[in-house]
Amino acid sequence: MTDLGYIAIILAFLLSLYGIAASAFGALKNRPDFVGSGRNSVYVVSGLVIFAGLLMWRALLTNEFHVEFVASHSERALPTIFKISALWGGQAGSLLFWSMLASLMAVVATFSFRKQGSSLMPWVNVVLLVYVGFFMSLLLFAENPFARLWMVNGQQVISVFQPTGAVALIPPDGNGLNPQLQNYWMVLHPVALYLGFVGMVVPFAFAVAALVTGQLGNTWIKLIRRWTLVPWAFLTVGILLGSQWAYLELGWGGYWAWDPVENASFLPWLTATAFVHSIMIQERRGMLKVWNMVLIGLTFQLTMIGTFLTRSGVVQSVHSFALSAVGPMFAAFIIITSLAFIGLLIWRLPHLKSENSLDSVMSRETAFLTQNVIFVLIMAATFLGTIFPSISELVMGDKISLNAPYFMRVNGPIFVALLVLMGAAPLLAWRRSGPETLRRNFLAPISAGLLSVPVMFLLGNRTMGGFVGVAIIAFVLAGIIQEYVRGVRARRQSTGEPLPTALVQLVRRNGRRYGGYIVHIGVLMVALGIIGNEFYQSEVDANLKRGESVQIANYTLTYERLDMVDGPNFTELIAPMTVAKNGRVVGEILPKKHIYDKNPEQPMSEVGLRAGVVEDVYAVLAGWDNMGDTASFKVFVNPLMSWMWVGGIVMMIGVLISAWPRRVATTAEATRRVPEGAQTA
Amino acid sequence: MRRFALIRKTLIVCALVAVFALALGSGPAQIASAQTPTPNQINEVARELWCPLCNGVRLDNCDLQACIQMREVISQKLEAGESTDNIKAYFVQQYGDVVLGQPSTEGFNLIAWIFPILAAVVGLGWVAYLVVTWRKKQAAPAVAASGAPSGGQLRRPGEEPDDYMKRVERELRETE
Repeated sequence: MTDLGYIAIILAFLLSLYGIAASAFGALKNRPDFVGSGRNSVYVVSGLVIFAGLLMWRALLTNEFHVEFVASHSERALPTIFKISALWGGQAGSLLFWSMLASLMAVVATFSFRKQGSSLMPWVNVVLLVYVGFFMSLLLFAENPFARLWMVNGQQVISVFQPTGAVALIPPDGNGLNPQLQNYWMVLHPVALYLGFVGMVVPFAFAVAALVTGQLGNTWIKLIRRWTLVPWAFLTVGILLGSQWAYLELGWGGYWAWDPVENASFLPWLTATAFVHSIMIQERRGMLKVWNMVLIGLTFQLTMIGTFLTRSGVVQSVHSFALSAVGPMFAAFIIITSLAFIGLLIWRLPHLKSENSLDSVMSRETAFLTQNVIFVLIMAATFLGTIFPSISELVMGDKISLNAPYFMRVNGPIFVALLVLMGAAPLLAWRRSGPETLRRNFLAPISAGLLSVPVMFLLGNRTMGGFVGVAIIAFVLAGIIQEYVRGVRARRQSTGEPLPTALVQLVRRNGRRYGGYIVHIGVLMVALGIIGNEFYQSEVDANLKRGESVQIANYTLTYERLDMVDGPNFTELIAPMTVAKNGRVVGEILPKKHIYDKNPEQPMSEVGLRAGVVEDVYAVLAGWDNMGDTASFKVFVNPLMSWMWVGGIVMMIGVLISAWPRRVATTAEATRRVPEGAQTA
Repeated sequence: MRRFALIRKTLIVCALVAVFALALGSGPAQIASAQTPTPNQINEVARELWCPLCNGVRLDNCDLQACIQMREVISQKLEAGESTDNIKAYFVQQYGDVVLGQPSTEGFNLIAWIFPILAAVVGLGWVAYLVVTWRKKQAAPAVAASGAPSGGQLRRPGEEPDDYMKRVERELRETE
């Protein structure tokens, strides 16, 4: 059956080449039949890729260990959910999964835009097919998930087709999935992240189509606004799920280590966030057209560059670059598509002139522009930090490491500036803000920020980071609340609606703006979690005999015993600890170690967690002696961490409100009834 | 078969117990003498160092044998009365800058520190340049904005300086 998968990939590759040619020819020669054929090839290519992916899943679920990927990344005893997620547990499978999601995205985009932007669509299809086609070429020429195991003259050979004189090699069981990936968060995290990555190809495709066709007005921007917000939301969720996984699995009390894989997901998020904001300026003021093109081009390329960096092995060592064909192929794709995009941009530069100019320093445009530049700055610094060890190794021959201390020192101050701007920008008017407006809009937020300092002092804070962080959060939050209060008050005055109705109507009628503010509230909650973890974390290490206790903050944790439980493909060692707060028992936590049958040398921590609104009690079982007579623990009290995860949910609610499709009447009706500001909402 | 699997699992677990027992060191911390550094004292130093072999793993969190030995060295050096800076310098001498988690501020690696500052100067300089040049252009009659009023924040021609409430009200009336 896996042969069929391989054939499907070959057909998908050839058809994508045909689709690219047909769409381009149809668009250039104005031939709707060819354009239609190109569009249909998107559907067929995607169908083939999804079919291939389903066959791979079938191989994983039915334990077809003859297939090398299945033998290397699965095992009989692996729980079904992890057999499904094993698809993205290795290079070849994850490329196939990526292709599946890209295909799905291509189908949804092509289908949903079938009636809009008709002259852009052939070129959008070209880009989508180039993208999917490239992944097909990776599967065919670099990492084939359908390759099988054979024996030739006592030698193990991996090949799709049976080599001459070979007999099938069918191992009785597989090697198992990497223990780090046998976690529910790791089932969700890659899916969300990949959806974010592949989703960015759609706005990029529209940008390319706009450049090729010369339709450089606001049409493409309006068409792709939601198509940027949705992948942005997936990226955000993906990053937060990854952080949650790191927090619960890696057992070091943190959630983000600035490692290259994490940075790879963060880089496109930064430019995408800048893009989501800067397209507003183009829509409303006709400015920053080139900048927006650059941002979406960068975002797309960063999804590829991040993947390239982590998959080619170049980050681990420059010398591993050529070990697999994946690295060079990614590099070639990135270089060629970047040059093509830059070429298009230069060609269309005369048509991308700004329709307006900045009126005042104290305007929302200036704040947005500064914020955009700051996002790109963080991206540039993070990018440099990610690749610098490789550059240093290449130039100096010595390997260095750039970890959290570097990133925190470089990015920390920039993030502070960014948060301040997040609070200030919505309080500044478009074009210019007079002194009176400034006073009225900034008085309450600045007062709230200043007031937070004595409050924090009274609460016992003596940390500078805490004062600054909380003051900024108070400033931003007060600004958002002020916007809501004023909106609701104005609505109540004009319509006489009761408060809840006025609030709902305000958000419903201008979801884009007020949904955006909800996203900002979510960001503040995430920031609060970061502040709690960075500045107020307590940590203690303890070797405890049964019944002994360790003190941390207001808590006393008592080690009870060590239990051993058989899991489906692992042995679970559980060390229950009784948690008492200020002397009163409040519960029990279960720090665990999983020792996987297939990878006993890589035991995985499952932290014992008592999550709370104010703080988490978090314990890691580090080791044990004499079958649990003594055990060693790392215990943390992580203040405010729950706010980070809830903040993620709030951000998603905000995005949903912001991106929710509003009823669109006929164009004429809409123009008559809805003011322009709301039209773009 | 099941019994064999169980025996195998138990053996694996026993082997691991032996490994962890080694990792535990010699006995509980509670009975540590005044001279012997506690795990917390060792970790305070280890937190400022990074595993030279893993990517991005702090020394206090690394389970590699090499890192366990490094922590033992920290313990010995603390016991000998050495300062944190001395201990860090010792490891840099042994393993290179890789244990610091950040590049040194000398030679080629200085680029990693200078680049972000340079990028900030260029980026913010660009914004300043745009603001200055665009404001100059403003003398010429500006073409009306294609998107005109946003969520009520944009002043219309001839309108008096911002009055937030009035604008919100107007916007709401228009929305009805």
